[in-house]
Amino acid sequence: METSLQTLLMESSILASGTNEGRRRFWRRFLRTPLAVISVAWIAVISAACLFYPIVTHQTGLFTDVAHSYAAPTQNHILGTDGLGRDEFVRVLLGGRISLLVGFTAALVAMVIGTGVGAISGFYGGVIDAILMRIVDVLLSVPTLFLLLFLAAMFHGSVVALIVVIGVTSWLNPSRLVRGEVLTIKERLYVEAARALGAVDARILARHVIPNAAGTIITTTTFMIANAMLAETALSYLGIGVRAPTPSWGNLLSSAQSDVFAGAYWLIVPAGLAILFTVTALNFIGDWLRENVGQ
Amino acid sequence: MTSFLVKRVLWSIPTLIGVTILTFLLIHIAPGGPAQALGGEKATPAQIAHLTHVLGFDRPLAEQYALWANALVHGDFGFSYIQQAPVRDLIAQRLPQTLLLMGAALLLSIVIAIPLGVYQAYRQNSVFDRTASSFVFLAWSMPTFWFGTILIALFAVTLRWFPVGGLQTIDTIAFDWPSRLAHLAMPASTLAIVSVAGWSRYIRGSMVEQLREDYAQTARAKGLPQRTVLFKHVLRNALIPFITILGSSIPLLFSGAVITEQIFAYPGMGQLFWQSAVDRDYATLLGMTVLTAILVVLGNLAADLAYGIVDPRVRYE
Repeated sequence: METSLQTLLMESSILASGTNEGRRRFWRRFLRTPLAVISVAWIAVISAACLFYPIVTHQTGLFTDVAHSYAAPTQNHILGTDGLGRDEFVRVLLGGRISLLVGFTAALVAMVIGTGVGAISGFYGGVIDAILMRIVDVLLSVPTLFLLLFLAAMFHGSVVALIVVIGVTSWLNPSRLVRGEVLTIKERLYVEAARALGAVDARILARHVIPNAAGTIITTTTFMIANAMLAETALSYLGIGVRAPTPSWGNLLSSAQSDVFAGAYWLIVPAGLAILFTVTALNFIGDWLRENVGQ
Repeated sequence: MTSFLVKRVLWSIPTLIGVTILTFLLIHIAPGGPAQALGGEKATPAQIAHLTHVLGFDRPLAEQYALWANALVHGDFGFSYIQQAPVRDLIAQRLPQTLLLMGAALLLSIVIAIPLGVYQAYRQNSVFDRTASSFVFLAWSMPTFWFGTILIALFAVTLRWFPVGGLQTIDTIAFDWPSRLAHLAMPASTLAIVSVAGWSRYIRGSMVEQLREDYAQTARAKGLPQRTVLFKHVLRNALIPFITILGSSIPLLFSGAVITEQIFAYPGMGQLFWQSAVDRDYATLLGMTVLTAILVVLGNLAADLAYGIVDPRVRYE
């Protein structure tokens, strides 16, 4: 009896982490989708370039040089300079640090809350489920940007506040998705087996339920990073996101609007493309994962 | 049928109450407390003490909520000390403009997204389908205000087809339809871009999925041409769940309106909400949040009821 229950528990970890054969098939499919490979490569390259920017440019930082403001791209400033004569390429790379940081950490905050609420809601069901999902319904009735603006008006200023504000407004849909997944997982035999062996709820959730929902969680996280980056852009455009002089892709793009009227039309391109490529890549990876994880 | 309608209507009541409780609590987490928040940053300690007493913030929380909710039911959305006007009047000036903008965007989205998605499914994996899918994917991932800026640079500054922004030409005071529509074209397109992308993807996906269903296979097996199967059988089934998507798009449209109205200096709810956030005019923020949330709940209710009427399976769940 004891041993057969143990075998059932093994099934849980095999399902969660996959077999060697399954993993090989996953990577083979990945390598056969050029766009998926390009998307992952783009995220890796842009992250590395932003993090270690002196590797990709000889410019060593941001120096105000008003005599050379709005200079067109040259060999020295490959993307030209902004209104204060600062190197635009360095600004885009430093802005990327902030935008990627906001995207990844805000998504992390959202997923921790979303996974917690979704797992508890789905696992316990009944009154707890009804109450939690009613709260999610209620929060979903308020337009996200309204909630963001409301909270940003109260707490804006630092990048940390921005991350928290975006994170706490983005966990609603993830929590629903995780809940749906947990509803099916909790009916599995290995959950019964764990319970028969005397595991407490917290252990069952942490060791068996959440690891088996990993596919859904990782896929959703990818979309959440993309969404958080777009939220940063939107808030920075509205003037309550990342504050100058700290550059971010959002505030570079919104200040580029006035630069266009000053004749420096090239400034609208780099930050815009950086956001567009990064968000598209993340959405594409998310789409691909949704179709290929757990197959 | 009647029991389904009644049940669904009753079901939305706890959500409505929850919405008012949530927004009521939002104002209490403001730094400095609710009286400070409603009075504005420049309010003196004496004014705050007065406000605390008048608005009842010195009473128990439950009693405060009851007072506030009672005022709400009677159409009193509070008073903006920053704008020196009742919030209800501020909203009443702006709401029609935003509803017009949202309506135009909704119409535009439906007219573009449905035919596009259907045609993509009809010519699945063709060059057209692949190209359209790529553009839709890019549009889906693009910051909205960037798209709006490109429209301004192209159609307002360079080609001069449309005005840069505003509601209608300034020298006319009376309502002027042609001028209104010209001013609406670019904002409505900007607001529509996200839903065009999302919906056409959805329609294409659900039609391709329906084509694999047994009934579609049967229709084809008895010799009906692909076109008939697609437009007569599959389209109807693919469009029914779309009603729910329409209902849930209302909060997205309100969110989009904040950005769109900002780009085109369009005097609607979104612009008022943004201005109130910048001014920390919490009374106005609170009133607008409650009203929009109620509109969203009612929109979802309407969509669910329509769904129940169109698809009999829903009623017997």
